Amino acid sequence: MSEKKAIGRRGFLKGAGAVGAALGGTVGAGAPAAAQQTASSTTPAPDMARETLPPPPDPIQQTSSGGDFMVDVLKKLGIEYVTQTPANTFRGLHEAIINYGGNKSPELLSCTHEEIAVAMAHGYAKIEGKPLAVMVQSTVGLQHAAMALYNAYCDQAPIYMILGNSVDASKRLFSFEWDHAAIDPSVIVRDYIKWDDQPGSLQHFAESAIRAYRIAMTPPMGPVVLSLDSEMQENPIPAHPALSVPPLTRVAAPQGDSGAVAETANLLVKAENPVIIADRLARTQQGMDLLVELAETLQCPVIDSGGRGNFPTRHPLCHTGRSGAVLAQADVILGLEVSDFFGTTHLLSDRIERRTRSITKPGVKTVNITSNDLATRGNNQAFQRFQAVDLTIAADGEATLPSLIEQVKRGVDASRKTAFEARGKRLENSHHAMMEQWKSDATLGWDASPITLARLCAELYDQIQHDDWSLVGNGIRVSWPRRWWNFDKHYRWIGASGGAGVGYNAPASLGAALANRKYGRLSVTIQGDGDLMMAPGTLWTAAHHNIPILYVMHNNRAWHQELMYVQAMCNRHGRGVENAHIGTTIDSPNIDFAMMAKSMGVYAEGPIVSPKDLQPALKRALAVVRKGQPALVDVITDPR
Amino acid sequence: MRKIVLALVVLTVPALAQEVPKGDPATGRRVYLADGCYQCHGRVGQGGLMTGAAPILAQTKMPYAAFTRQLRNPINDMPPYPQNLLSDQQMADIYAFLQGVPGRRPVKDIPILNNNY
Repeated sequence: MSEKKAIGRRGFLKGAGAVGAALGGTVGAGAPAAAQQTASSTTPAPDMARETLPPPPDPIQQTSSGGDFMVDVLKKLGIEYVTQTPANTFRGLHEAIINYGGNKSPELLSCTHEEIAVAMAHGYAKIEGKPLAVMVQSTVGLQHAAMALYNAYCDQAPIYMILGNSVDASKRLFSFEWDHAAIDPSVIVRDYIKWDDQPGSLQHFAESAIRAYRIAMTPPMGPVVLSLDSEMQENPIPAHPALSVPPLTRVAAPQGDSGAVAETANLLVKAENPVIIADRLARTQQGMDLLVELAETLQCPVIDSGGRGNFPTRHPLCHTGRSGAVLAQADVILGLEVSDFFGTTHLLSDRIERRTRSITKPGVKTVNITSNDLATRGNNQAFQRFQAVDLTIAADGEATLPSLIEQVKRGVDASRKTAFEARGKRLENSHHAMMEQWKSDATLGWDASPITLARLCAELYDQIQHDDWSLVGNGIRVSWPRRWWNFDKHYRWIGASGGAGVGYNAPASLGAALANRKYGRLSVTIQGDGDLMMAPGTLWTAAHHNIPILYVMHNNRAWHQELMYVQAMCNRHGRGVENAHIGTTIDSPNIDFAMMAKSMGVYAEGPIVSPKDLQPALKRALAVVRKGQPALVDVITDPR
Repeated sequence: MRKIVLALVVLTVPALAQEVPKGDPATGRRVYLADGCYQCHGRVGQGGLMTGAAPILAQTKMPYAAFTRQLRNPINDMPPYPQNLLSDQQMADIYAFLQGVPGRRPVKDIPILNNNY
């Protein structure tokens, strides 16, 4: 970049800024004396000397920008959307996206908070299998975004974040550009991202942009951050050297060691009661299909911990609801991307002495195929309690399943096949009994008000079951959908927040709905009141960008998990629960979520108190969603 | 041996039944709500979720002795309800309330539970 260009627009602004600086007695070297005099006068008067000066030798327009080149790179990466809350440090790239890029692939999406922008990217990635881009301000924006980044990191979701940063201190505008600059902006989130860079040139950017994408998409997936200098975005593309964008080539996910996979297959085939636990396993529909193939080959039960949509809930080998029973009988347990093996196989009492108890038999053999250990950090403790698994295969679960299935099939002889079939029949009967029990349980309080969660979920499913639906959020772990609803596709369920950070559900659901839109899927989410109040502006983004989604409020007017915890403390300390509502409830006044949604352009009904009003309200709201718009139904529910 | 077991059952069941003190369901409902039982178990005892599952209590078949033991010295994550927070009579009232709440309905009476599942 020539010196003339480097001075450019900033030089002009610097000259203008000298007026203010003169009040403090410091003047830019090139400022005319007349300007100094005028600036120090107490009576404002036209600065005639300044007004009549010839234009400075400083170009005021340009025909290209570094941002244009950045848009070319984003297009090459196949980035469909950029979520953002506008900010000065990425105005160059912002303008290039909407004008040079035609605001199409990527299209700019407006969010009222950076946490929403990141959480939308989180949900989108779990449906689409690839990231969108998020633009945030380097300091203040990144701090807003940090919690959502943490969720995505814990949930192993790829986030492609671009920071705007003003690197050159001599070019920054006074005040806010200094506030919005950092010498190492990513440091505040480096504990929970996979990689970051601050490119020093456009060529450096091109290479780092491709590298960042590959790193984000290599299991275990996770967030990456590119800090982009605002001058580099805004100023003309240097004539030399010529820029090039490296190709985006494929990365094969890490597969398990062949010997370890064969050993695992041998254990599974010989076991009398093998159990499979799947957590963040299925990245694609193929992941679900492979897990079904493995389970059917072995005729063994599967526990779906719900980190992703791993296993069809109505498959007779789905025994998630009988996890305690099947784990107690297990002689071999195969974990597939299980994030908390200890917690899955133990009970922990939340009491004065937090005692744990294994729920498995002594001598049970355990294997975990997981990429968790490939990108673990030391500070945050999201890796959960240590479990001495007999064999850990450090690899991607979905990528390893084909070779494991092949090895298992090779080991099954006629006698084992007969035994497997008998086992499968028993499991099918147990599955059927479990489903019948749940139906009976659901009738309890069927006509009660506030509405039970069983009734809420049954009514909702009744309305959507013939659509190509996708449950894109379930903020409060409501168990009923995964008991009954027919989750027969990977995209029917996307998992939870990862880091248990409240404020995920509303925007992540919207991001997933954005991804579902082009496939014509019907997106619905069960939305907690506390979560929505963390990011209510999500509703405006839904309306502004015509993203079809139904928010069904599970409105218990509390941060209810915390209420139960405080209640437990009250009684442990022998003081009674009378005051447990203090600081834990969201009432007095009650929030009118329908009114709130309407104020942001979202069709809404409620509060629905009587169960008889629920079905008509859902019907009307779903009609709106099926036409391509968002809707919200506020349902007053029993707490749990 | 089988006869001995049978005899024990015959003797024990009436004994347990006799041990249930008389409770007032209306008072029991009030205490059940005021003392926060419903926060985890639901307003009509339909069960719920805390850190783990909170069991169904509607028309519970749990013997009264086990019920009171769970309140006074609970297993798992349930908060304790000592004497100063919940009297013996209030326990009996809650038990009476739970015995009287509407229990399960026949699934066939609720069409959407049959249509969908």
